[in-house]
Amino acid sequence: MYWPVRLASILAAVGGCFLLDALARGVDDYARRLIVLAGIWVILSVSLNLINGITGQFSIGHAAFWQVGAYTAGYLSVTFHGKWGIDGLPWMILMMALGALMAAVAGLIVGLPSLRLRGDYLAIVTLGFGEIIRIVVQNQKPLGEAYGMNVQPKFQTVWLVWLMAIVCIAVCRNLLRTAHGLPFLAVREDEVAAGAMGVNVTQVKVTAFLIGSAFAGVAGALLAHYEGFISPQMFKMEQSFIILTMVVLGGTGSITGATIAAVALFYLPERLRDAPPVTGAALLGGLIGTIVAVVLVKRTVDRFHGPKIGAATRYIGSVVAGIVLSLALGAGFGMIPKLASQSFEAEKLRMVIFAGVLIILMLIRPQGILGTNEFSLDWVKSLLRKRKAVEA
Amino acid sequence: MDLTHSLLGAVDFGLLPQQVVNGILLGSIYALIALGYTMVYGVLRLINFAHGEVFMLGAYVSLFVAWGLGFGPGPVSPDQTSNWVNLVIMLVASMGVCAAVGMFIEFFAYRPMRNQPRIASLITAIGVSLLLQYAGALFLPNSPPVPIREEVNPYRANVLDVPLKPKSADLLAQTKQAQVALDEAERTLKDTVAAEGIKSEFDLSPEGKKVRDARNAARTKATVTQNAYDQSGLSLRIPYGQLIMFLTSIGLMLILRHVVMNTAPGRAMRAVSLDYDSASLMGVNVGRIITLTFAIGSALAGAGAMMNATFLGTPLTTFFGMQPGVKAFVAAVLGGIGNIPGAVLGGLLMGIAETLVVWVGYGDYKDAIAFVILILVLLFRPGGLLGSAKVEKV
Amino acid sequence: MSLLQLEGATIRFGGLVAVNNVSFSVEKGDLFGLIGPNGAGKTTCFNLITGVYKPTSGSIKFRGSELSGTPPNKVAQLGIARTFQNIRLFQSLTVLENVVVAAYLRHRVALPSALLYLPSAIAETERLKAEAMRLLEVLDLDRRAQVRSADLPYGMQRRLEIARAMATKPELLLLDEPAAGMNPQESDDLLLTVRQIRENFAMTVLLIEHDMRFVMNLCEKIVVLDHGIEIAQGPPETIRNHPKVIEAYLGEAV
Repeated sequence: MYWPVRLASILAAVGGCFLLDALARGVDDYARRLIVLAGIWVILSVSLNLINGITGQFSIGHAAFWQVGAYTAGYLSVTFHGKWGIDGLPWMILMMALGALMAAVAGLIVGLPSLRLRGDYLAIVTLGFGEIIRIVVQNQKPLGEAYGMNVQPKFQTVWLVWLMAIVCIAVCRNLLRTAHGLPFLAVREDEVAAGAMGVNVTQVKVTAFLIGSAFAGVAGALLAHYEGFISPQMFKMEQSFIILTMVVLGGTGSITGATIAAVALFYLPERLRDAPPVTGAALLGGLIGTIVAVVLVKRTVDRFHGPKIGAATRYIGSVVAGIVLSLALGAGFGMIPKLASQSFEAEKLRMVIFAGVLIILMLIRPQGILGTNEFSLDWVKSLLRKRKAVEA
Repeated sequence: MDLTHSLLGAVDFGLLPQQVVNGILLGSIYALIALGYTMVYGVLRLINFAHGEVFMLGAYVSLFVAWGLGFGPGPVSPDQTSNWVNLVIMLVASMGVCAAVGMFIEFFAYRPMRNQPRIASLITAIGVSLLLQYAGALFLPNSPPVPIREEVNPYRANVLDVPLKPKSADLLAQTKQAQVALDEAERTLKDTVAAEGIKSEFDLSPEGKKVRDARNAARTKATVTQNAYDQSGLSLRIPYGQLIMFLTSIGLMLILRHVVMNTAPGRAMRAVSLDYDSASLMGVNVGRIITLTFAIGSALAGAGAMMNATFLGTPLTTFFGMQPGVKAFVAAVLGGIGNIPGAVLGGLLMGIAETLVVWVGYGDYKDAIAFVILILVLLFRPGGLLGSAKVEKV
Repeated sequence: MSLLQLEGATIRFGGLVAVNNVSFSVEKGDLFGLIGPNGAGKTTCFNLITGVYKPTSGSIKFRGSELSGTPPNKVAQLGIARTFQNIRLFQSLTVLENVVVAAYLRHRVALPSALLYLPSAIAETERLKAEAMRLLEVLDLDRRAQVRSADLPYGMQRRLEIARAMATKPELLLLDEPAAGMNPQESDDLLLTVRQIRENFAMTVLLIEHDMRFVMNLCEKIVVLDHGIEIAQGPPETIRNHPKVIEAYLGEAV
């Protein structure tokens, strides 16, 4: 029964990617680009989840590995493409492999301090490595310095990006499905106890950094060849923070959580780009309404211990109250000419809303969307079962 | 020998003391910001990523106060003069508003997260930081970046000149000698013009050329010796503004030290930082102490921001706090996070390192040096310079 | 040849000599007790044996080969497993997973097969789980196999620590206050379990315990430490009446 299931799932994954590719042909360039970038963010988020969520090594410089992959692939393509007698997909695969290799080397270098440093100290060192790499790249002539470099040839396919995302997810999931994943989790839980039980803590940490950074390198190679242009600005500290946020928001250690959060956090701000401008009145109303809704929801989370149905009603009630209040206040403030005439472009509000949503989600659900659970039918069933038990 | 030469280019090491002093002046600002990070980390074990943004807001408060005092964005009338009172008003306003903002952030963003995993608080902190940057960009003037007008600083023209090494007497004698020789040559030239009836100084006859060449040679020699004499001494030049900045920083740090070491709230703060749970069981109002910590830390950042924007003249954007914030945080970790003298030491080292790197011609790597030092230090002293790495009890 | 032999083992932390020139040897099959008042250096002894600390001087030999300087995971692979005084389970893992982590040190399938989810990795996972399940049965934890270990009651957490240590299949099992915090009934049960473990798994047991009754009933040989110094050694009867031991526990005789 093993091989039929395996082959079927592999076929389904590859088929799904080509299906997505075919569907993406039907949409405009902008929408297609978003689909590709979403896949890249999924790779980044899931690969950081391996280091951060599963192995518990607080790394917050993941964009550096992404950058190493992107620049490795970009530089090699510009310099050597056409000279080695391969082209198209094989060339892309080679670039991904080399990008992954170089990123893994960087991961090894960054992973070594993790053997001595813990928690926040490790965090700041990984952040530092990221910045050092960015600044060094930014000062290299052949890499285009701060202006960036054009990458030729472009290789723009949707299927390859999402196939790599699926491979990344599959690798992490396979790790957790076998006994081999347990030492990683054990290191996260308690290094000393893990060591005493014969777990080679050093090896586990370095392995996590190697695999995680290699996938980030793949994401870099994909990005470089999709966009056809890379610059140090694309790999700033903020990007690392966003990847970290995806991991935490999804629920630390949860692969499905990391995937969902990556897609959601990537799409939300991008969708906001083309929203219509907002008046000052609506903005102020929305702000107050949101705060009220959040306070109400938070109170329910903290103080309400009744059945789930009751909690759900309260949540919905709070949100509805917030929306009603926003609209009412928006209309009310609209009476004030100064507030009504002022308008804010959605483009500028984008990051504000992103940050706001981040804070609100953390306040309401600090364990992340999925907590440490994986999204699966069993999990949904167990949730339903609990609800029934409470009702009974 | 060759190596140092090619790496460091034409660096005149006689200027080293000046550079170190510049570094210390800059470092005092980093130290002020680092104190905020280290204090918050000490009591809450939280990296307050929004601290850099508090710093940014402080700079804007100073800017607006300066505008209010008549140093607005438009042209300033020439008779508009400033005095030290203006500076004090700006400083106090900036510190006050920052303290309020710090307490506000603590109350709304961090307090609800107190019993949650630390990484969740960290993400909240990142969220607050982004929110302040981008929401600030909606309302605060930031494009193009606005500097605080330098006219607000009444001491902008004054420079403290500290002679380190007197100018060479030997060279002085030579200069005088050369000057005498030059005068002589000039006179000879003039005399020749008068006596020989040469039409002008620019006569092309062999006679005239000879005298003129002699004068030119004398003139060159005089210039060279004069220059050599001018450069023979060594003095530190510190603009008054930066001196005030440094002294104020030191003053604030001493006050902080007094508060932390000798007052009841300070003692409570130390207790919370040693053991959060025990402190609360021993009757320390932990919530109030944390609020106080945020207030003090943020006020220090506000002071740093006001002085940075006023005396160093950095133009403001809402992303103004990012780089100093990160560097100050690195400084705090470098000194041993949670350790107050460590933050000061780390800040000063960071300032010196950065100035020296720029000075030897690696300005492009200015922002990387902080991290390079940090990584090297942490690899050898995982707890930072003055911190002690906690040994986990098994 | 003794299974474990300490000769003049000493460790200093700054000015404090936590373990001072301690020598004893544990023979194969022993039920060996290490006792002493608080701060006597018992747990530090365990930390020296298991490689958490490196001794300042002296030697620790396991089956005749030197242990000091060996990292903890290597020590575990050589056949010494331990429990912790302040329970250190992998809290968010299930009971079964906790034990599998320890059994993992005998894995035979390389990581890449696991990443590809090859049949060999699946088979091995099943094998390790089955092995862990058998141990859980021995310690009467099998019905809680799928519970998060942090959610177990205290006594069961202690037993899980033992199960986890045993999963490394050690020759020498170090138990750090296994009966701490247990009521007399639980403690008696534990006593039987430890005896059973020794009989059925042919393990040698070295244990630290505060509960005198427990130690005296269980152990055949006892070493007493006080302030890092070994003050007595011998069978329970000798220890019970040893003047220095009485002094250490009850203060100086008047």
